[in-house]
Amino acid sequence: MTEQSASAGAVLVVGGGISGLTAALEAAEVGNDVFLVEKNPYMGGRVAQLNQYFPKLCPPSCGLEINFKRVKANRKIRVYTLTEVKSVSGSAGSYEVTCETSPRYVNNNCTGCGACAEVCADERDDDFNFGMSKTKAVYRPHEMSFPMKYVLDKAACSADTLEKVKAACKYEAIDTDMKSESFTLQVGSIVWATGWNPYDPTNMDNLKYNESDAIITNMQMERLAAPNGPTGGQILRPGDNKEPESFGFVQCAGSRDENHLEYCSYICCMATMKQITYIRERYPEVPIYVFYIDLRTPGKYEKFREKLMSDENTHFIKGKVADIIPEDDGVTMVAENAVTGDKVHQKVDLCVLATGMEPAIKSQAAGLGIDVDSNGFVVSDPAKGMISAGCAKKAADVVTSAQSATAAALKAIQAAK
Amino acid sequence: MKVNPDLDFIKYMKSAGGDTLKKCYQCATCSVVCPLSSDGKPFPRKEMIWAQWGLKDKLIADPDVMLCHQCGDCTAYCPRGAKPGDVLGAIRAYAYTHYGFPAGLAKLVSNSKNLPITIGLPALIVLIMWFISGGMHVPSAEALDQYGFGHFFGHWDWHWLAKNVAFIDIIMVPAAALAVYSAYRGVSTMWKAMMKQYNVSSDYRPSVVQFIQQFLVPSVKEILAHTRFKECGTNADRTTGHLPLLLSFVALLFVTAYSAFVQDVLGIFYPELHGPMSMMNPVKILANVAAIALILGVGILWSNRSASESEAGVTGTYYDWFLIYEIMAVGVTGLAAELGRLVGVPVLAYFFYYLHLVSVLMLFLYMPYTKFAHMVYRTFAMAFEKYRESDFVTKSAE
Repeated sequence: MTEQSASAGAVLVVGGGISGLTAALEAAEVGNDVFLVEKNPYMGGRVAQLNQYFPKLCPPSCGLEINFKRVKANRKIRVYTLTEVKSVSGSAGSYEVTCETSPRYVNNNCTGCGACAEVCADERDDDFNFGMSKTKAVYRPHEMSFPMKYVLDKAACSADTLEKVKAACKYEAIDTDMKSESFTLQVGSIVWATGWNPYDPTNMDNLKYNESDAIITNMQMERLAAPNGPTGGQILRPGDNKEPESFGFVQCAGSRDENHLEYCSYICCMATMKQITYIRERYPEVPIYVFYIDLRTPGKYEKFREKLMSDENTHFIKGKVADIIPEDDGVTMVAENAVTGDKVHQKVDLCVLATGMEPAIKSQAAGLGIDVDSNGFVVSDPAKGMISAGCAKKAADVVTSAQSATAAALKAIQAAK
Repeated sequence: MKVNPDLDFIKYMKSAGGDTLKKCYQCATCSVVCPLSSDGKPFPRKEMIWAQWGLKDKLIADPDVMLCHQCGDCTAYCPRGAKPGDVLGAIRAYAYTHYGFPAGLAKLVSNSKNLPITIGLPALIVLIMWFISGGMHVPSAEALDQYGFGHFFGHWDWHWLAKNVAFIDIIMVPAAALAVYSAYRGVSTMWKAMMKQYNVSSDYRPSVVQFIQQFLVPSVKEILAHTRFKECGTNADRTTGHLPLLLSFVALLFVTAYSAFVQDVLGIFYPELHGPMSMMNPVKILANVAAIALILGVGILWSNRSASESEAGVTGTYYDWFLIYEIMAVGVTGLAAELGRLVGVPVLAYFFYYLHLVSVLMLFLYMPYTKFAHMVYRTFAMAFEKYRESDFVTKSAE
């Protein structure tokens, strides 16, 4: 175990998504030492998986790259990927945090040339694309992943593959004997920017996510629309790659529901509207059906909503989809139109579940001594030097996350003194 | 649209287990997951908003309220814990009281605070009649063995009508007649309200025979087959309790009618037909099987309800439990009286027979105002549903 010491007032930022990057940069750029810990082999979090994001519908490269550049240029920030926080002890001003880095099996010699992947015969499910494609067992998580290094999934490799991959690397970057490493950090305060996971759609048994390829989640839709996604940005139905002739959206799939997530996930209405623009770019006239309880367009998006709702082929139906029937070609969505009082059976080729945000830290919070609310969101306690940011704090969009991350950085600096 | 909420109704809903209704945010999950909700007029989403708005007149004229079997799928899937199943149960309880005649009796029976009077009144009636009859003494074991409960109210020599039968008739017939009249009145008021609510014109009216053949009989057949109960998702095993219970009621109705005919009509000419039936008599066997089925059936419903209250968060109400206790009382006291007679303990036999008469009187007298009323109101709501879809209505609308 190694010790990482820093000057007094060091800040630990847990999570390297848009919130964690923002908080780390804000704290480092005023002169504090920052440790930035990320569990994935790449930075950028959920934003990296989006096709476009609000407010300007930019591709993620737009906001992330500038942050990566700032991180690289800033000597005050130390970045740890593939690393998780294992325990926290101490109090405000003097926390001792134990972290563990999982082996990447690729060392810093890696130039990202890709020679290893060319000879690799084994494959793994691509979790970056929610399992809709496969990558080689030695891979870059996505084409703009930072740090620009390959990752080796040792469990997915045969002994033969390991040998070949090793031999193919002329920089001796492949190290199959790499072990997990623990280390402790001495910090004054901690920013929890641990983000969110898409709510597991299989929990809603009536929505039959597992029973049809024609049912996807909104995050899968982002990947389908993304140019670096499994279909190169074409929106095709998983399974048979059909160009869908109709689309359905199930709003509040798991959100605002006592049996699942009891809060409004904030982003799903706007995400659906954004995804309608993806569909319209590719299929200008296909019918789209959006089933909702209430539409929430927080911030300045009311005009955006008006524009989308004026499209005569996009139908908004007030009524929650409570049953989805898998068909040979697509699915039938069942809802009651609460305005007319009629039951609606709508057949669509591709059905998108607008699933919500579940705080990623939820299940580990108790073990780490983090104060969370009944839904698993981290409650900030600046006096204790424990501050939450972004979607670890509450369900939020990118703009709100960046704002809360900046605020968290300020609190963290104050608490770390 | 101007809404005039009935505040008393909303207060009543809160007190009768419908206090969750304000949580509803109209997502309509319930109408989709309800296995009994039809495509043309889904429920219970619309009932939830009517109830929130206090539109009681719409609710009590709504066949869907009566057609709900409280499967509980809506409550299980409700994202807000608004418990639509419980709310509809509370609306039904309200409707029975609303349609009940005389209104005072209906109100009395619907309130748990009046339980002592609710039990005390029939207990006193039977006690007074027993006292007046002069039969109020414990018989010898031999007399019990010979006459059964045939001399409970004493004996006279006028052989056209046994004294016992006369007294039982004096107690039960007016009670049953009042119940039948009240149910008739309630159902016809409900029917008219439903006709008005759904704008059903009566240009072509079915005759009584047509009505029975085309609407009532198919509804009763559906009820006997438990078609709708079997569609329930959550709580599907309620059929296991309700079916034997319903069949036992049918069987006991037959046994009672048979015994009245044999003892009190044929018995006039063949006095040897009086006295308890042989245990091997097929009708007696049927009676005993039915009594056990009744106790088992209501026992299953009892344990299902307890389980759904502790596990599924169903609200326990006086309205639901009163009927379960009452039917259990009828079954247990009847069987205990019979056992007391068979083992030859006159005190116990007469004691339970007295309680049995009281509980049966309660069942008859309170039928139109308690949950037991679903027997008539639901049947006629089903008939109305069929009527609405029939040529009588659809053709006259053209």
